[in-house]
Amino acid sequence: MSAIPTVQPTNLHAEKRIVKRFRDYAWGFIFLLPAIVVFCVFLWLPIAKGIYFSFMNVDFVKGNLFVGLAHYREIFQSGVVALAARNTLYYMLLGLLIGYWIPSVVAIALSELRWFQGSMRLIVYLPNIVPAVVLYGMWQYLYDPLGPLNQILSWFGIDKVMWLTDKGLAMISIVITESWQSFGTATLIYLAGIIGIPKDLYEAAEIDGAGVLQRIRHITIPGIRHLYVLLFILQIIGTSQGFMTHVALTGGGPNNATLTYMYLITNEAFVNLNFGKASAMGVIMFVVMTTVSIILYSIQGRSKRA
Amino acid sequence: MSKESRERSIMSDTDFRKPQVKIGYGVMLLALAALALTMLYPFGTTIFSSLKTRQEVFTYPPSFFPKQLMFENYMEGFRYIDLGRAFANTALLYAGNVLIPLTVIGLAAFSMSQMKLPFRRALTMFFMSTLMIPSATYLIPSFLNLQNLGLIDSYWAFWLAGGANAFSIMLVKSFFDGIHKELFEAARIDGASELRCFFQLALPLSKPVFATLMILTFTNTWNDWYWPSLVISTPEKLPIAPLVYKNIISSMNMPMNIKFSVLTIIMAPPLLFFAIFQKNIVHGLNLSGVKG
Repeated sequence: MSAIPTVQPTNLHAEKRIVKRFRDYAWGFIFLLPAIVVFCVFLWLPIAKGIYFSFMNVDFVKGNLFVGLAHYREIFQSGVVALAARNTLYYMLLGLLIGYWIPSVVAIALSELRWFQGSMRLIVYLPNIVPAVVLYGMWQYLYDPLGPLNQILSWFGIDKVMWLTDKGLAMISIVITESWQSFGTATLIYLAGIIGIPKDLYEAAEIDGAGVLQRIRHITIPGIRHLYVLLFILQIIGTSQGFMTHVALTGGGPNNATLTYMYLITNEAFVNLNFGKASAMGVIMFVVMTTVSIILYSIQGRSKRA
Repeated sequence: MSKESRERSIMSDTDFRKPQVKIGYGVMLLALAALALTMLYPFGTTIFSSLKTRQEVFTYPPSFFPKQLMFENYMEGFRYIDLGRAFANTALLYAGNVLIPLTVIGLAAFSMSQMKLPFRRALTMFFMSTLMIPSATYLIPSFLNLQNLGLIDSYWAFWLAGGANAFSIMLVKSFFDGIHKELFEAARIDGASELRCFFQLALPLSKPVFATLMILTFTNTWNDWYWPSLVISTPEKLPIAPLVYKNIISSMNMPMNIKFSVLTIIMAPPLLFFAIFQKNIVHGLNLSGVKG
C-alpha cells in the first residue's frame, strides 16, 4: 500500500473521492429510499401497467392476450364513451356556472361584514367537514320527491320537481350538492387574498371619487386574479374526474344522463370486467389531461407575470 | 371592536352615510343570512330527523323539529350495523396511516431539504411529476397491482401506499427548508448521526406541519369510501365510511330516522375534530391555497 501512492497518485485520489462522495451521499439516499420504493411500487408501476394493459385483453384465467389497438378503436367508435365524455364536459361547465364564481362574491361580501364575520366564516366552512357518505344521505332526503326542497317550492306554488330522476335536472342537482360542500374552502382562500390587498388603495380610489362597486371592480377583483386562475385550474382538474357523487345519488341514471367518463371507466372494469378497455380509457384521459394542464399552467404563468 | 381601531375595508364610514350604499349593504346582509340558512339547514334536517319517529319523517308536509325526541333511534342504529367494530377498524387504519406514511414522507422530505443528494433535480421530478397524472389513469391498474401483490383485503394496501404522496412531501420539505442549515451542521460536527438529526431536531421543530398532515390523514381515513370499498372485501374489516355506504346509503329499505341517527353519529367526530383543531385546519388551507 505504502508504495503505490507515489506511482499512481491521481487514480487513488479519484478513487478516494468516489468513496468519499458515496459516503457523503449514502445517508441522503438511504433516507430517500423508502419513498422511492413506495412511489415505484404504488404509483409508477400501476401507471406503466395501465399503458401495458391498454394493449391487452386482461384475463385472470386464460392469461393476457395482446390485442394491439383494438381497445382504442372500440373506444373511439363507442356511442356510450362519446355520451360519457359529453356528460363530463357538461358537468364541468355546470360546475363553473354554479360553483365557481359564487365563492368569490361571497368572499367579497364577507370581507365587508362588520359583525359576525368570524361566525360566518365558520358557517360557510361547515359543509366541508361533512363526510361524503353523510353528504349523500342528507341530499338523498332533501331531493326526495316528498322531501323538504319540494315542500319549500310548494309554498311558492311550484309543482313537484323530480330532482334526481329528471333527465335534465339530475346533473344540476349533483352539481348543487357538490357546490354546497366545496364552496367554503374556495371562499376562505379568496377571503385570505382579499384581506391581503393593501387598504390605502381603497383610500386613494375613494379620494379620487370611485364608488364602492368601482373599487370592487378595479381594485378587489384584479387583486385576487391569481386566485381566480388557481381555483379555475383546481376545479377543472377535479371535476374532469368526478364520478363518486354520481355513483351515490343517481347511479349514472336516469338513462345514462349522469354517466361521466370516470364512472364509465369503473363500470368497464368492475361491472364488465374489461380491465384492458378500462386501462385504455385511463390512458386517453392521461393524454387529454396532460395537454389541458400544460395549456392551463402556461395561462397561469402568464397571469402571474401580468 | 371600537370604531377607531377598525381598519377600513372596501367601504369607508363616509360611504356608509349614502342611502344607496345603505340599501346595497342591507341587501348583502339579507343574501348572507339566506346563505347561512342554506349552509345550516341540511345539518338541521339530519340531526332533527334522527330524533323523529318513523312515521314523522314521512309525514307530508315534512316537519323540521321533531314532535317527540326518540333517543332510542341511536340505540337501534348501533344494533342495525356494527358501528363499534367499524370505529375500531377505522382507528387501527388511522394509526397505521399516520405512523408508516408520515415516516416515509418525513425522511424523504428531510433528505431532499437538508442532506447531500446526487441527481437532485431528477429525483424531484420523479416525485413531483406524479401530481400531474390524473388518478383516472392508475385507478384500475392500481387495483390489479394490489391483487398481484396480495394486498387486497389488507390494511397494508393503505399503510404502504400512503407514503406515495408527492403533495405531502412537498409540504414537509418546504417546512424543513425554513429551518437553518447551520443547526444541523453544528449537530453533525458534534457527532450526531443523520437519524438523530431527523428524530431529535427536525421532527420536534416541525410539529405544526405534521399536525396539519395528521388532520388531513384523519379526514381522508374517515371520509374515503370508494377505494376502501374496493380494496377491503371482508365486511368485518370495513372502516366506517364504506360500511355506511354499503349498508345505509345504497340501501332502500332502511327506516329514515335510523339512517339519520347513524349519519349523525359518523358526522360528529369530524365536527369535534374541527372544533379542536380549527386553527391548524385553516392554516393548512392557507398553505394549500395561497402559496400555490
